[in-house]
Amino acid sequence: MGKPTGFLEFTRELPKKRDPQQRIHDYKEIEMPHSEQDSQRQAARCMDCGTPFCHSGCPLGNIIPEFNDAVYEQNWAYAYEILSSTNNFPEFTGRICPAPCEASCVLGINKPPVAIEFIEKSIAEVAFEHGYITPKPPKVRTGKQVAVVGSGPAGLAAAAQLNKAGHTVTLFERADQIGGLLRYGIPDFKLEKWTIDRRLAVMEAEGVTFKTGVNVGVDLKAKDLLADFDLVMLTGGSTVPRDLPIPGRDLKGIYPAMEFLSQQNKRNANIPVKVDHRGEVYGDGELLATGKNVVVIGGGDTGSDCVGTSNRHGATSVTQIELMPMPPKDRAESTPWPNWPMMLRTSTSHEEGCDRHWSINTKEFIGDENGNLKALRIVDLTWKNENGRMQMVELPGSERDVPCELALLAAGFLHPQHNGLLDDLGLEYDERGNVKATNYQTTTNPKVFAAGDMRRGQSLVVWAISEGREAARAADLYLMGESMLEAKAVSMIAVE
Amino acid sequence: MDDWIGRTRHSTPGVGLISPPPHHDIYSIEDLAQLISDLKNANRAARISVKLVSEAGVGTIATGVAKAHADHILISGHDGGTGASPLSSIRHAGLPWELGLAEAHQTLVKNKLRGRVTIQADGQMRTGRDLAIAALLGAEEFGVATAALVATGCIMMRKCHLNTCPVGVATQNKELRALFTGKPDHVVNMFTFLAMELREIMAELGFRTINEMVGQAQMLELRNNLAHWKYKNVNLDGLLYKEPTNLDVALYKQEDQNHHLDDVLDRKLIELAQPALASSESVYGEFTVQNIDRSIGTMLSNEISKIYGGPGLPDSTIHVKLRGTAGQSFGAFSTSGIKLELEGDANDYFGKGLCGAQLIVYPDRAAQFKPEENSIVGNVSFYGATSGEAFIRGMAGERFCVRNSGAKVVVEGVGDHGLEYMTGGLAIILGQTGRNFAAGMSGGVAYVYDQDGTFASKVNGEMVNLESLTEEDQGIIREYVDKHFQYTTSNVALALIQDWENQIGRFVKVMPGDFRQALAGRGISLADQIRDKNIVYQDITVDVTQG
Repeated sequence: MGKPTGFLEFTRELPKKRDPQQRIHDYKEIEMPHSEQDSQRQAARCMDCGTPFCHSGCPLGNIIPEFNDAVYEQNWAYAYEILSSTNNFPEFTGRICPAPCEASCVLGINKPPVAIEFIEKSIAEVAFEHGYITPKPPKVRTGKQVAVVGSGPAGLAAAAQLNKAGHTVTLFERADQIGGLLRYGIPDFKLEKWTIDRRLAVMEAEGVTFKTGVNVGVDLKAKDLLADFDLVMLTGGSTVPRDLPIPGRDLKGIYPAMEFLSQQNKRNANIPVKVDHRGEVYGDGELLATGKNVVVIGGGDTGSDCVGTSNRHGATSVTQIELMPMPPKDRAESTPWPNWPMMLRTSTSHEEGCDRHWSINTKEFIGDENGNLKALRIVDLTWKNENGRMQMVELPGSERDVPCELALLAAGFLHPQHNGLLDDLGLEYDERGNVKATNYQTTTNPKVFAAGDMRRGQSLVVWAISEGREAARAADLYLMGESMLEAKAVSMIAVE
Repeated sequence: MDDWIGRTRHSTPGVGLISPPPHHDIYSIEDLAQLISDLKNANRAARISVKLVSEAGVGTIATGVAKAHADHILISGHDGGTGASPLSSIRHAGLPWELGLAEAHQTLVKNKLRGRVTIQADGQMRTGRDLAIAALLGAEEFGVATAALVATGCIMMRKCHLNTCPVGVATQNKELRALFTGKPDHVVNMFTFLAMELREIMAELGFRTINEMVGQAQMLELRNNLAHWKYKNVNLDGLLYKEPTNLDVALYKQEDQNHHLDDVLDRKLIELAQPALASSESVYGEFTVQNIDRSIGTMLSNEISKIYGGPGLPDSTIHVKLRGTAGQSFGAFSTSGIKLELEGDANDYFGKGLCGAQLIVYPDRAAQFKPEENSIVGNVSFYGATSGEAFIRGMAGERFCVRNSGAKVVVEGVGDHGLEYMTGGLAIILGQTGRNFAAGMSGGVAYVYDQDGTFASKVNGEMVNLESLTEEDQGIIREYVDKHFQYTTSNVALALIQDWENQIGRFVKVMPGDFRQALAGRGISLADQIRDKNIVYQDITVDVTQG
């Protein structure tokens, strides 16, 4: 802690955002540049708590007070060393993490919490800028061949860690580019894709082999995969979206969010919009919100991304509806500090213009004579607590139609895709349909490991990185009998 | 030390305090026994508690403490510690309270001393289960501190010493205190749950009272589901051992210590002082004393304080003239209004904790020795004195005026470590000093009559400066040398007065630099400060409702 009284002198300040009216005309990052002194001032607010709750708030166990102190001292190289000891990709989490660390920040009890995510981004960017991030290939190779299937954040983290341990890692991806949902899910205005390429270049130089366009299970059969590799790490994500099987679902104009979002990512990257993020042909052609009344069904982050993208397309109107009631403006009493707060979150996409409604159920999609969507039949809900379970009750007489030519389903993801690779490997699933594993090792085949959304179900990027790291350590232990890889409970950094 | 804290702690704002305070009055179990006796004299209604760190051998120490007549022993485990504790202490000092408690209880039972003391245990006690285990291992009382603080909002920041507690628990910063959200109800609630859980466990085990439960270690057994390999060699037989006893041996506190307070000299002094206690009337009495008359004036001071509070009575209201050899702790914790005049000599801890009384001692009229070459009071005199005056015709032993914060004393020579950690007051030494003089002295002033020019070599100069005298200093010295002669007919004082012009130049002034600056910063002269040490607080208002 560089400055014991920093939190009394400075307030939380984040970099300015570009004007919404200006930024909806492009897909560039929303935050404006900041100075190293801005980061230093924010780092000075850290109190170096005796019991640092941010450590446990962060799924990665980031050693936050220590890197804050290094930033305050302007020792950026050391800050990056600390940060990268727990987080392979701070340039991603520094941009798109909902920052559970900040929710558990002790300062957040009665003041705005330390701007941890902003500091994290600063560290990553300064480290790249100053050349602190250089490829560090392992000095010794173990000779073990490891396949990582799926190149989202979990797969990337697992690949980076396993490569660091000296294993020869091949990372398979069925899409045309590496990155999973970082690449073909999160819009460019939240995560510009050059940040991924910059990291991939480092990993490639460190010896990780990337294979895109390979649909494991189809192009490379499960039995060949098991034969060719000493260990298989499954990080394919939770890819089956929750559908809305109500009357009119087969009308044209109703699409899963991912189909819509991934197309825009392709356009931004100047890649022809032909096959989707799963490597399958877009069956519904190019999807654009231009000139349409868009309704996004689902109030989460994916829904918010659809809002931002629709605004950029030039939609006539953008509406987002959510089944659950509107959360409180501040932390709900049911989620006291240091828990992740149930509360209303307004994203940058919402700032750009959007009607948001809560406690609304969609009853029916209504089409015109050509089979195109023209309206949504919705109804207001009230929620009743019945024996501890929230039950929804329709409000009589509230049923109405709202005009809508494009409905985007952003109601979450159910579980990974079972048919194909997972079934071929003969894996067990848990009650939610995710791959069943004990300490990341699948219950059916000891050399097959699983991590990320594929194992834990849909979650945050930061959880995916955490899963990839923890699974890598488990896999390394399995391969070698011991492991020097860092994981949450095992830090290898020398504390000054 | 800021203004408010300085005033609250009766120290000089602007001058640092050495923390934690060293206890130079306790070097042996006998010292401790004397301290317990002093404290009991100072407040007969109080239970005197001795806190022991849980460690190997604590049983032997607890036995000694029980024999030294402590009413209460606290076995403190290593788990706790204030937020200001150094990490090295938190991590490396002490053992779990379970170990120390079991050892202390078993040893006391074995020595048939357990019935005389209450045992308390502490160290991160949080649940009724903790309390139940502590009772079964031998405690009838429990200390719960961190958990209670957490109930009021403490989040264990470990910043208690930086004044930056962000939840307003341990800070004087108004802005931060305003953020304190704790309520008494929170603490009540926590203790209610704690007690409820303990009662449930007691009911399960079949105990009706805590006393029944104390030391019944057979009710505890080692869990058999400890999976971790480190536990495989754990053997708790020693911890769960129950000393075989018969019904005559108490397993919990059943009788009070005999503090031998019924026939102390102060009972007579209190009798003498009745008119003073009742209506501030002056009284005078003469007594002979011997070395079993300890803590003279202490119990009397307690009686004065109970009626007149801190300020006590006007100076010399109760004048007691004593002849003989006084026991230890002469005038300990003696308050304003008492004047103790001793013809003879006194033992250790003379004027310990002096707080307003006037002590005068000179050798017996029949004595043949030269007072200025002989110790007539023992070691550790004026330890922790806060105010009052003393005039000693003769020398004092070692550790003179350690931690004195306001007493003004004249003496004719001292042993080693004089004025160590002194934070206020005045010491005039008309003769030799020992080595390591004024080590860690952060306040107050000393004038040393350096007859042979060797004084400078005996000073620990880490915190103090040696200076020549100003006119103001000369005035202060003269005032006290005159008084010294007046009260004790000292030959040394007389010789000085008769050759004042020549001798005054031999005095060396010893004063800490920070203390000088603090006074200068407030525009307070040294003479005024010596006259009334509270003058430094004249511009400080303490708003206890702050925040």
